[in-house]
Amino acid sequence: MAIRVTLDRMLLERRMSLTELCDRVGITLANLSILKTGKAKAIRFSTLNALCRELACQPGDILSWEASAEDEVEEQEMAAE
Amino acid sequence: MKALGKGSIASFMEVALKITAVVLWVFLGCVAAAALAYAVLNGLIAAGAVSPDILAGERGRVEGSGFEATFDMDSGLAWQVVAPALLSALVAIAGGLIIVRRLLKLFESFRSGEPFRKENATHLRVIWITMMVIELSRYAIMALTGLIITAFGEPSGADMTFRLNVDLMTWASILVLIVLAEVFREGARLREEQELTI
Repeated sequence: MAIRVTLDRMLLERRMSLTELCDRVGITLANLSILKTGKAKAIRFSTLNALCRELACQPGDILSWEASAEDEVEEQEMAAE
Repeated sequence: MKALGKGSIASFMEVALKITAVVLWVFLGCVAAAALAYAVLNGLIAAGAVSPDILAGERGRVEGSGFEATFDMDSGLAWQVVAPALLSALVAIAGGLIIVRRLLKLFESFRSGEPFRKENATHLRVIWITMMVIELSRYAIMALTGLIITAFGEPSGADMTFRLNVDLMTWASILVLIVLAEVFREGARLREEQELTI
């Protein structure tokens, strides 16, 4: 996936543990781990809102985009159409 | 009565399929025993230990206390008739067993209340492929029988007529299963996406 979740960096900067964030946001540790490891397929606005509120940051501080091979293939397909 | 979960129609169907599987295994055993018996009998006839008349056809009537039966088997148990019949029975039963086994797995997941599993799409695909193989092999066996009759002659006393019989219901079922397999694949994909939405 071209979207990277930089939750690790945010937690490190705020010296906050993943368990603490779970308690504050109200998400299970399993789900937050899925998000942190980049295995998640989608994120709800309500989750993003809670994360930004507790980490006092913007969505862009948690998520970033990087071009991947998948995107290049998709772009080529769109150009071909 | 609910359709999915414990004590549902799905669990009732699961039991019915288990019984069907046992019945099919018994049928398979009977066909294997019949094939073996036929081979042994032919071997004994070839060795001269048994009279070939044992396989000769007959027509008649059997009467007993409270029952009466008529039989008409002019051609007897000629190999031109027996071999294709055994082959088609074997294909149908073996295919039936594959279908029942896959259906059992499907209904197990329906009973557990999780119909949209990735494996279910695969089970449905195997079922429609098996149905197609059974149907196509039926045509192939019919053609093979025709070839055998042409090459070795019609068994004496037999009146064999061949007509291509395309079972439209089977082909319609195959098409429905192809679509259903894709529906299940899409359902499994959506379920996975929902599970991975945080």
